[in-house]
Amino acid sequence: MTNKMNTTYNPLRRSMTLSLLSGLAVAVSNLLLAPNLPAADAPKDQPAAGGMVPLAIKLPAPAFKGTPKDLALGPNVEPLSDKPRAPMMVPPGLKNIAPGSKVTCSDKNVPADNLAKLTDGDKDASDQSIIFLRKGTQWVQMDFGSPQEIFALVIWHAHNMAKVYHDVIVQVADDADFIENVRTIFNNDQDNTSGLGVGTDREYFETYEGKLINAKGVKARYIRFYSKGSTESALNEYTELEVYGRPAK
Amino acid sequence: MENSGWKPSASAICHPQSAILILLAGLALALWSVALDQRPMHNDEAVNGIKFGQLWEHGGYKYDPNEYHGPSLYYATLALSRLTGAPQDFDQFTESRLRFTTVLFGIGLILLLPLVADGLGRKATLWAALFTAVSPAVVFYSRYYIHEVLLVFFSFLALAAGWRYWRSRKIGWALLAGAGVGFMHATKETFLITLVAAALALGFNQLWNRWLDAAAPPSRPPRLKLTHLAAAFAVWLGVALILFSSVFTNAAGPLDSVRTYLPWLHRAGGGSPHIHSWSFYLHRLLFFHVAKGPVWSEALILVLAVLGAWAAFARKGLADASGSFVRFLALYTFALTAAYSLISYKTPWCLMSFWHGMILLAGVGAAALLRAMKQRFLRLAVGLLLLAGAGHLAWQARLANTAYAADPRNPYVYAQTSPDLLNLVSRVEALARVHPQGRQMLVKVMAPDSDFWPLPWYLRNLKQKDWCDQMPADPFAPVMIVSASLHAGLDEKKTHVMVGYFQLRPQVFLELYVDLHLWQAYLAKNPPEPD
Repeated sequence: MTNKMNTTYNPLRRSMTLSLLSGLAVAVSNLLLAPNLPAADAPKDQPAAGGMVPLAIKLPAPAFKGTPKDLALGPNVEPLSDKPRAPMMVPPGLKNIAPGSKVTCSDKNVPADNLAKLTDGDKDASDQSIIFLRKGTQWVQMDFGSPQEIFALVIWHAHNMAKVYHDVIVQVADDADFIENVRTIFNNDQDNTSGLGVGTDREYFETYEGKLINAKGVKARYIRFYSKGSTESALNEYTELEVYGRPAK
Repeated sequence: MENSGWKPSASAICHPQSAILILLAGLALALWSVALDQRPMHNDEAVNGIKFGQLWEHGGYKYDPNEYHGPSLYYATLALSRLTGAPQDFDQFTESRLRFTTVLFGIGLILLLPLVADGLGRKATLWAALFTAVSPAVVFYSRYYIHEVLLVFFSFLALAAGWRYWRSRKIGWALLAGAGVGFMHATKETFLITLVAAALALGFNQLWNRWLDAAAPPSRPPRLKLTHLAAAFAVWLGVALILFSSVFTNAAGPLDSVRTYLPWLHRAGGGSPHIHSWSFYLHRLLFFHVAKGPVWSEALILVLAVLGAWAAFARKGLADASGSFVRFLALYTFALTAAYSLISYKTPWCLMSFWHGMILLAGVGAAALLRAMKQRFLRLAVGLLLLAGAGHLAWQARLANTAYAADPRNPYVYAQTSPDLLNLVSRVEALARVHPQGRQMLVKVMAPDSDFWPLPWYLRNLKQKDWCDQMPADPFAPVMIVSASLHAGLDEKKTHVMVGYFQLRPQVFLELYVDLHLWQAYLAKNPPEPD
């Protein structure tokens, strides 16, 4: 009886041991393959030129903190600034010329009827009002058909929750490929990750007010709005774009 | 065998079932430990990580009765780190290494199952193992470097050892149960809820056995020995004493483990930002859907758990399970569920305590359901349906730990650090590489109420950091990380540039200010990469 049991269970025990060891091996390899800190190219703390060494100041340890509050998502986001937006002074008689323009974008997967949402006047924070462009630096372009004198722009990426869009850049040009007479109206790409030059404008929070930009009467037929994801997601959202101008003389 | 009767037993589960359990545990271990670093460290994980770091580097730990729970997590990590030859330099510890500790305790929930196999029934034990391995809640919080899964593991250890003692009356099991309770005590203050639920369930179950269970056997087990119980109690106190006193170096620790209930009772009564309605846990477990996210549900486990409980009370379809044990388990689980639902202080990982009980009952329910199918094809069809349900749970577990690991549309995510914070960390690390002082570069972090966690974990390899609760008199440094709520405007003097906002958590933002010359040097060394 004992022999029979041994015969029956020895392969079983072997397979049990092997399976547990295999699982452990995979788990350990997962650990080993995970990236380690510090990064491989992290510098060593070496004396600076002239034998000088950095002054080591003993600083206090961080105070511990309990579980923070979990803030619910929702469309009614309060603007993070309590200062009201200053009014922008523009010449009289301007109108929003965006609805009459031909809108295209860098993401070929976005259908034309979706792009029409960008100029339909619907600036709600609902999912139905927002279009999504894929991740990375993406743009939306408008062709006004003829040169326009542009004084102001308003951009609503998505104000369904507090977020900040990265690499927001607005350029105008005389040709559809943005080669001739390209001028930058706004650029907050501080580290030039989108490759259109180092921006000096500040990032801003998305709110129901949209981002108002002074275009100072620049003359152009084409305009492009760039972005590269947000603090919330790598995707690029656009709700509405408004361009206030008049035909160039 | 009478289901509610007593029969001495040392063996719990036969070898083929053990083999399947161990196979499942091995598979779960492999899958649960994949990409442990994918989700950014939660505030609480980072606090635990830094506390463990102090223990690892300086050998120091002191129990804080106001927050942060008990010492077992840190000592367990210490033991595992020593056993696995972890690097001496704490800077080289990773999120994966820390989280692997809690993963092992999660896997332990499967490996402990053979101890209760003669209580649940052999087939029910296998179903319970499967549901443990695929439950999104269990998988998600086992990959979370917090105390919860340790509490559940030690609770199950105490319960399983207690059951074995009940069956065998051998003192070794009593001592193990005592050690289990000691470790529960040294893990989290809420262990008292588990103890009270178990005591109530034991009492009610004994009453049921005596007065209502017509099939109760005339034979009675030997009386419990007071010496065994006293020894178990001594082990409990001994374990708690050793850990709370930081291995006899903090005399106030054991007393603090009692004092702690004042602040926790205050929180439980409503003095906390974590006050939620009674349905908070059930909403997240049974049906959770936020716009454009998937529908999440572990309702299958609850339905099967109710079936399992019904089988125990009705004494139907239990086969080799112990009706008395399953009834106890049902009473214990429903008492825990009621207690956690009624206490207004709620964080979602607390659900683990009662949900593990549900999973065990669900195993009984699944086995009973299959037994109720008299025809073979029906049994096969229901079996396949249950497997499909388990597959759906596994799919949700995968989703919760990958694409939705830090997404508020995931029901298990709570006050989670945003992935965007990792962009801030990599930017600061890149700035340190450019700075002449390297890792000695001074970084000032300013946020009200210390709301900068988990940055102390992520910036641990930078040696000069100043953590401020408010704007100091001199806020300037080569790099400054400032809460957006402070409206700092530290770039107004043009000596620094504000190079961007970064999301700490949904609706909570940090600004990064960099010395102008350092920023220019950074830009010179970091040309844009093509998309």
